Amino acid sequence: MGALHQLAEEAPRFFTYWNMLFLGQAALNTLLVSLLGCVLGYGLGFVIATLRLRQVMAHAAVRGALAGWTEAIRRIPFLVLLMCVFFAFQLSGANQTLFVIAVTAVTMRMSALAAENIRAGYESVPERQWEAASVLNIPPLQSLFRIILPQAWRVILPPSTIHAVSMIKETSLVSQIGFLELTFAARMLNQRGFSALICFGTILIAYFVISWSFSRVGRVAERKLVTEARRVRNGGAGV
Amino acid sequence: MQLQYGQVVGYLPDFLIGAAIALAIAFVAFGFGLVIGLAGASVLAYGSAPARWLVRAYVSFFTNTPQLVQIFFLFFALPEFGILLSPVQAVLIGMTLNAGAYLTEIQRAGFRSMPQAEIEAAETLGFTRFQTIRHVIAPHIMKALYPSLSNQYIIMTLGTSMAAIFGVEELTARALNANAISFRSIEIFTLTAGLYIALTIIASALLYALGRALFRVKASVF
Repeated sequence: MGALHQLAEEAPRFFTYWNMLFLGQAALNTLLVSLLGCVLGYGLGFVIATLRLRQVMAHAAVRGALAGWTEAIRRIPFLVLLMCVFFAFQLSGANQTLFVIAVTAVTMRMSALAAENIRAGYESVPERQWEAASVLNIPPLQSLFRIILPQAWRVILPPSTIHAVSMIKETSLVSQIGFLELTFAARMLNQRGFSALICFGTILIAYFVISWSFSRVGRVAERKLVTEARRVRNGGAGV
Repeated sequence: MQLQYGQVVGYLPDFLIGAAIALAIAFVAFGFGLVIGLAGASVLAYGSAPARWLVRAYVSFFTNTPQLVQIFFLFFALPEFGILLSPVQAVLIGMTLNAGAYLTEIQRAGFRSMPQAEIEAAETLGFTRFQTIRHVIAPHIMKALYPSLSNQYIIMTLGTSMAAIFGVEELTARALNANAISFRSIEIFTLTAGLYIALTIIASALLYALGRALFRVKASVF
């Protein structure tokens, strides 16, 4: 196999301190963009999902508009969304870094996914609890934070780690606007003469390690939640 | 700055052809992915331990790495082994392998929802094998799987936009070309976004109707 020979020959040239530093910084950029976008997106998604509640927002037009936003953003490919954000920044004349543009695009996408997820969490709590709270004269936002959310977050949390992992993978598309994350770094190294096999092979492994460990953490957290919920339901020690 | 959609509506027929290509790519990759997924799920349900481990490694690798980088690898690294793929081939193979991993996970749930007692009841009542599958097994499995399968199809339709990076002339690639000619960037990409929204809403509606007619599934799609 000529390719494997070549791989063994170029590996010492590729896995140097400076190349690994370069890839490590790119991996940090990938993490930074996707996780910051996830956090901001979940914040925005929480506002959207909450304003879509009949009990919180009285105007049907606002609820409808937010439902439209959620539905629309989920149906735009991330690459196209990225291009829209990129050129919208250009049009507005705001001179922003690629980092800001990338985070904005990830946040927009995440806000729609998060809003759907949080809405599912809200819907897992029986309607009667809202009614009971309103009969007891508890204001809507207070019943949301004190009654609904403590029950809904068990439904909300597991998919959110899946979203974070999927965002880490989707940010590979951000390389298309020139932001230096893992995929862009691999393309740069490839253009500097290293073989595609070693460049893309290395970042495939890097992506795998990052996203596998994240989903592992998510699964452990989920299992812990489920057993805890069961213990509470069986009348054991409460949270 | 004025938005001038008048200058970009002329691209619409061209974009619609691109949309059709996107749907076709998603359809082909989904079809082959379904076969791979069925094989994978069968191995996970009935296979030997090493075979199960292999399938799990395959699923875990493809679901934990970005589809874009997988296709990059196929397109740029395989030539070093003497395998030269055209852009369409690379995209189709990459999307198929990726879909196969997700569809293995999805179809695994189907094996768990096999209604054993009802299959025996159907046999006792003299159902033919086809009738058992059509009236007993398929509705059960489909009730569990149909929403996830439809979601996967929609996700893959959106995923075809990645093909633009490799020069496959689907919707996003045509938008990038039109952008390079006209410089009406924001108009072109919002129009493209609107087309994707319309495309997937139509696909969702069709999938919903199909599920309702064939398998009596009443789940919301995407």
